[in-house]
Amino acid sequence: MTTPDALMRRRQALTLARYEVRRSLFSRRSLAVYLLVGMPLALMLLRALFMPESMRADASSATSEFAEVFHFFLLRFVVFFANAMIFVRLFRGEILEKSLHYTLLAPLSRTVLVVGKYLGGVISACLILVITTTLTYVLVYLPHGSSGIQLMLSGAGIAHLASYLLIVVFACFAYGALFMLAGLFFKNPMVPAILFLGWETLTPFLPTFLKVLSFVHYLVSFAPVPVNLGAFALLARPVPWWVALLALAVSSAVLVFAASRVARNLEVTYSAD
Amino acid sequence: MSSDRIVFRDVSKFYGEVLGVNKVNLEVAPGLTGLVGPNGSGKSTLMHLMTGLLRPGRGEVSVLGVSPDCPEELFRLVGYCTQYDNFPNGSTGLSFLRFALALHGYSKSEVDERAWAALTRVGLTDAATRRIAGYSKGMRQRIKLAHAQCHDPQVLVLDEPLNGLDPMGRAEMIDLFTALAKEGRHVIVSSHILHEVDVISDGVIMIHGGAIVAEGEIRAVRGEITSHPIQVLIRCDRPHIVASRVFELEHIVEARIVGDEGLLIRTRNASDFFTQFNRIVIDTGVIVETVAPADESVHAVYDYLIGEGLGGGSA
Repeated sequence: MTTPDALMRRRQALTLARYEVRRSLFSRRSLAVYLLVGMPLALMLLRALFMPESMRADASSATSEFAEVFHFFLLRFVVFFANAMIFVRLFRGEILEKSLHYTLLAPLSRTVLVVGKYLGGVISACLILVITTTLTYVLVYLPHGSSGIQLMLSGAGIAHLASYLLIVVFACFAYGALFMLAGLFFKNPMVPAILFLGWETLTPFLPTFLKVLSFVHYLVSFAPVPVNLGAFALLARPVPWWVALLALAVSSAVLVFAASRVARNLEVTYSAD
Repeated sequence: MSSDRIVFRDVSKFYGEVLGVNKVNLEVAPGLTGLVGPNGSGKSTLMHLMTGLLRPGRGEVSVLGVSPDCPEELFRLVGYCTQYDNFPNGSTGLSFLRFALALHGYSKSEVDERAWAALTRVGLTDAATRRIAGYSKGMRQRIKLAHAQCHDPQVLVLDEPLNGLDPMGRAEMIDLFTALAKEGRHVIVSSHILHEVDVISDGVIMIHGGAIVAEGEIRAVRGEITSHPIQVLIRCDRPHIVASRVFELEHIVEARIVGDEGLLIRTRNASDFFTQFNRIVIDTGVIVETVAPADESVHAVYDYLIGEGLGGGSA
């Protein structure tokens, strides 16, 4: 049975989540995120406009082309930085705006505060990045004409898209938790974000015992089409889907828990920030 | 444990090497309490500690028996109007209050009802749907006051709440604070305008260099300052006669004629003076218009204890 306290906390968390969704999607600060997610769309549009006729005829290449775009550009750059921008600002943005105290003066526990904000970030990031990935997917297949559209709408095409979207959603949960924590810890969280991007980029070249310390290692195990990572990549045995799911879920939960612990001792000293 | 006091027990707070407040022991009773001190004295630090926006490095704070570490309980009891003049980007007065009230868990209809009631109380109904970014300083101050009291708190902590308000607005807000205090609530007001603190406060807390230098009713605080003789202003028809008689009293330090009918007395023993003064009046037959303490004001006590001019900043 749900207690009145639990109901109250759920209501408060949802209020915060709705507020964060509005801020992330419709405020001036979301412009940078929209510019970022517009990049793959603009590139795919240019590709569609200037694609040679000989390539248009070969629709089968679209599957591997999207796989490469997804691995090297969407996941490792767009999804990564969009999450960084959305989640870092959940706390750091309000600290810089000097308006965090209004939320801290509400009768809600710091854990509810963190969970509500995180939920809002996840919903916003998923909305933006799922739409971006879907549109990019369509723009990769579209220039190939009717055969491309057929391939895209076939059972395999839809299943591929679903897998990519699943990766994006999991990435939002995992990177989101990490960047929210970074926003609480660091005055300039973009520096650790870039360092972590370096680590994620190096993952294919790391031995297995180090690969497990990255999110991308687990995320790509859901990828429907493998990509060639280059001659220097150290191949590891693919992680079973349930291990990857568990690893991402547990690490996200641990990071959100850590964020709630940090938030519990959060003080308002704007002049120091 | 339930209590009707705000209690600080040996509370210290340092910002790195910089002192915020040091070994503060306080018990604040219900009513209107003025918090005064110069810039950087620790007024805002004290208010932040009361509301959990800062944590003490040492000691304990409790507000009506609730620790600031329990925001779920604390902010049902406390409303805080900070000195920060910033608001969430894009907020209107109404949306700002709606969000705050929704976080309290009120139903949608109650959120609206309370938001409009708070806006009415501070006279902002016409500007409710305008963006706060376009508000004047006074309007921003009013919306912060509305935010602090929209959930009907038992304790109102107000950091320089009259800043930016026009004289009419100041009078309205002072009436509101006084009315809230009369209802038995705690209203704690920091202000650098000593005259206002004097007019509205039941009690005063004076802070200097992070330490509490005086606390209590202003008359009682004044009475304890033995280093400065108490001043009494007498208005009567023959002040020079009274002056010559009071000079005979042992504890009189000074008797000075002020204007045509005024006599300023400085005495080391006020209660004895008042007893003896009655005898003088009967003996001489002077007609006394008024007898009033001349330095039982926050300003005078502040000068005696701290002896500095007040600025308008925060700690």
